[in-house]
Amino acid sequence: MSRHLADAAKKFLLLGQCVPTVKQNATKIRVKRLELDENLLMYFRKDDFYYCHDPEKKCNTGDIVLIQALPRKLTKLITHEVKEVVYPFGDITDPVTGKKVAKERYREDIDREAEIYGKLKSGFDYNKAPPRGWQDGKKDFTSKPTYTKFHVFDENDPYAV
Amino acid sequence: MPFMKGRAPIRRTLNYLNAGKLVFKDKIKIFSVAYNIIGQNNTGAKEFVFWYLPQIQYKNPNVQVATLKNLTPTPFIKCYFEDGRQILVDIDNKSKEDILDHLLNTVGKSKEVLEAESIAAEKKDNPANFGVGCERPCICEVYGQVPCPGVIPLPKVMRGKYKNPAN
Repeated sequence: MSRHLADAAKKFLLLGQCVPTVKQNATKIRVKRLELDENLLMYFRKDDFYYCHDPEKKCNTGDIVLIQALPRKLTKLITHEVKEVVYPFGDITDPVTGKKVAKERYREDIDREAEIYGKLKSGFDYNKAPPRGWQDGKKDFTSKPTYTKFHVFDENDPYAV
Repeated sequence: MPFMKGRAPIRRTLNYLNAGKLVFKDKIKIFSVAYNIIGQNNTGAKEFVFWYLPQIQYKNPNVQVATLKNLTPTPFIKCYFEDGRQILVDIDNKSKEDILDHLLNTVGKSKEVLEAESIAAEKKDNPANFGVGCERPCICEVYGQVPCPGVIPLPKVMRGKYKNPAN
């Protein structure tokens, strides 16, 4: 009984990462939680997958988002909705300073280093790059889950490895 | 039989887990720590996660404790409230004790609140107790005990005015 209440309380607001999914209307979010092993008294990672309602498609694969439980379930599977995208994949702003970062260096530091060494025209420019997802379906096949091809069929599925 | 395996297995003892000082206020739902694997300014954050995170998760089983690695150059802690507010704590070049003290002062329940809660929990724990916060307000309503003197007057043997003659 108390575990049901605890589960209900836990599902209210969650932080998770978007994973690839085949469903068109919903986004699949993976929430990492820590579960205590009774014998070892150690916390292990446990993944929960939630299908979320995201009408504006503001969530891409790999983004870290905040989810909120819907007051009533939309369908049998869709129980939560995407509240806001906290850290978009590849385009993170450091909340402490407010500058854009690229994993562990500030983008302005990278630009300064490139200028000192000699900037190439073929180098990646964040300002001129097109928005994320422009190659989706043509060369970028990460938005849907992939699987190993064990047999070559007539129709070539680009999402198979 | 060897001692407990792993690095610092004292973190896996009940004594250590129960000794956690940081209990979050009720409104906090998510506690996320973002830090890097390499870098001198992250050592405080890494040690904080290594030593204090099991205690924090044990004392707050309903809070989602998330660790995000290699996101930004500087480590930080973000707490998300129920109503959508966020608290940002910069832990760049801070030691684990400093981080814990800061969190205790800002988002942790104070000692008085914790003591009051433990007393209240004890009262509800034991069904034999009676009084203000328990199931039975007075022992007079239990079968077999002395009935309430407000309903039925006590026998003269038990009343003070008959036992001690007022001369």
